[in-house]
Amino acid sequence: MNMALKEMKKNKTRFLIIGAVVFLISLLVFLLSGLSNGLSEDNMASIRNLPDGTFHMSEEAEGSYTQSLIEEETIQENTEDESFAFSVQMGALETGTQKHSLAFFTTTAPSHFPDVQEGHVFVDQSLKQEGVTAGEDLEHPQSGRSLVVSGFVDNERFSHAPVAFTNAEDFRTMFRMDQKQVLYTSKNVDIKGLDAFSKKEFLASIPSYQAEQMTLSMILWFLVLISGMLFAIFFYMMNVQKTGMFGILKAIGFHTRDLFIMMWTQMLMITFLSVLLSVIISQVASFLLPETMPYDLPLETTLWLAGLFFAVGFLGSTLSGLHIRQIKPLEAIQQGEG
Amino acid sequence: MITFQLKDIRKTFQSGDIEEEVLKGVNLSLEKGRVTALTGTSGSGKSTLLTIAACLQTPSSGRILFQGENLASLREKNLRKVRAEEFGFIFQSSHLVPFLTVEEQLEMMVEVSGKQGCKKDIDSILRRVGLSHRQNSYPSSLSGGEKQRAAIARAVIHRPAVLFADEPTASLDSKKSMEVMTLLQDMTTSLGMSTLLVTHEEEMLAFADQVVRMEDGRVTDR
Ligand SMILES: Nc1ncnc2c1ncn2[C@@H]1O[C@H](COP(=O)(O)OP(=O)(O)OP(=O)(O)O)[C@@H](O)[C@H]1O
Ligand SMILES: [Mg+2]
Repeated sequence: MNMALKEMKKNKTRFLIIGAVVFLISLLVFLLSGLSNGLSEDNMASIRNLPDGTFHMSEEAEGSYTQSLIEEETIQENTEDESFAFSVQMGALETGTQKHSLAFFTTTAPSHFPDVQEGHVFVDQSLKQEGVTAGEDLEHPQSGRSLVVSGFVDNERFSHAPVAFTNAEDFRTMFRMDQKQVLYTSKNVDIKGLDAFSKKEFLASIPSYQAEQMTLSMILWFLVLISGMLFAIFFYMMNVQKTGMFGILKAIGFHTRDLFIMMWTQMLMITFLSVLLSVIISQVASFLLPETMPYDLPLETTLWLAGLFFAVGFLGSTLSGLHIRQIKPLEAIQQGEG
Repeated sequence: MITFQLKDIRKTFQSGDIEEEVLKGVNLSLEKGRVTALTGTSGSGKSTLLTIAACLQTPSSGRILFQGENLASLREKNLRKVRAEEFGFIFQSSHLVPFLTVEEQLEMMVEVSGKQGCKKDIDSILRRVGLSHRQNSYPSSLSGGEKQRAAIARAVIHRPAVLFADEPTASLDSKKSMEVMTLLQDMTTSLGMSTLLVTHEEEMLAFADQVVRMEDGRVTDR
């Protein structure tokens, strides 16, 4: 006989309410996480999708890539396998009628970015939706430079703008900039005169990205914390109410362990059902939300967050149940008489 | 046949600087198939003695002899096992589990005691306490007398050797009290239990095979 389930069956409303609240909170966490992840991808796909490696910037730049300049010599000294140096500038290209905001990239080695000939450009495929076609001529208004679209690349974005990959010569003409800003090495090496950043640290060094992600993840953690506290409060109130009963059960021979198992079973049931429901809904949402909405919730993240809910529920209920250990059967009996 | 013995039980409570000796060397023997009634003035130490005998609190000194062991020297872990398997409890209020039906209360006791074989007796016990028709009812829908009869059924379903009952009729009117006492007496003989009953109602003493009077922590008469 499973007493935990019998209790839930008898007191359906009580457990339904807490289940509904956990469901709503976890759904909110999943949706927010999808949004946060989607925004991050929309913001910085070009950096996020690089393999884990080290990003080097000049010491004087103090962690700001726009201030960083890397000497040509240094780049020459670090040409192992996958390393390359790159520069980024925000700008735009025009057709006769339209203006497209873009993040311009130029790199020294085409290991992770396309190899671009002078006078050509590769742009993110989102420009197709804006009506840009391969072979079309696009003009850079400030320099008067004209570039032919030689192809589209998938999912390349920087600072919420589609990326345009250009040849070093064109980049120099357009932005009057000779040097590269960032050196990427696949291995974690120390280079004299340069500060090293992991991918995560590099992303965090970009102010707009940092601000966006921090706000969202703060909300997220608060929600998780709240759900833990909810469990703690809920089970605390239930347990206080049942103190007398627990005492009687101990008197007739229950283990303290049995009482905890009862509580954990209920916690698991509530969490499992509520989280399962919100996992399903948040996954279905990926298909229902419009393409333009930055929403991306990998199953891995979902499972990780679901695990977090179980951990937090376990902690909350266990902490609130610690006093069960102290309940003396005798007190319960005497209280019952009073 | 004596199955359970208390030897020179003393209990002292410490409240602040004052030490109060509530039990001053009590001896008591319970016999198989017999009801022993413990009576006396309020505050004489009846409940304290019963809970010590039932291993719900420890005596300051003295021995509790049961099945060749001194329970006073056992650890809580082992006492829990003794309580679950060999003791039955009836309290002043029925203390039924609010979310279990009458039948489930008994199933629970069978599981806690580990005596799965007693499961088959549930129907007959419920019939004996007159609750067959209420077996699927929850405690909240039972009358006071029905609750107490359900509590008796739960206390004896695992065939304990000793049954402890502290004022089981205190919350019932005299007609219901008689019913409950008849039932207790009946179960004690038919199941061969040793029953220790605390009561301060003189009429209930008629149901006892042995009456022990207490005053100020001592047995005055038996
Ligand atoms: N935990 C305790 N701490 C201090 N004193 C206690 C404690 N338990 C009982 N006492 C005291 O022991 C004395 C005997 O109490 P007990 O409950 O055994 O009496 P009783 O004979 O059952 O009385 P009643 O008929 O009123 O139930 C009382 O004076 C009581 O105040
Ligand atoms: Mg008493």
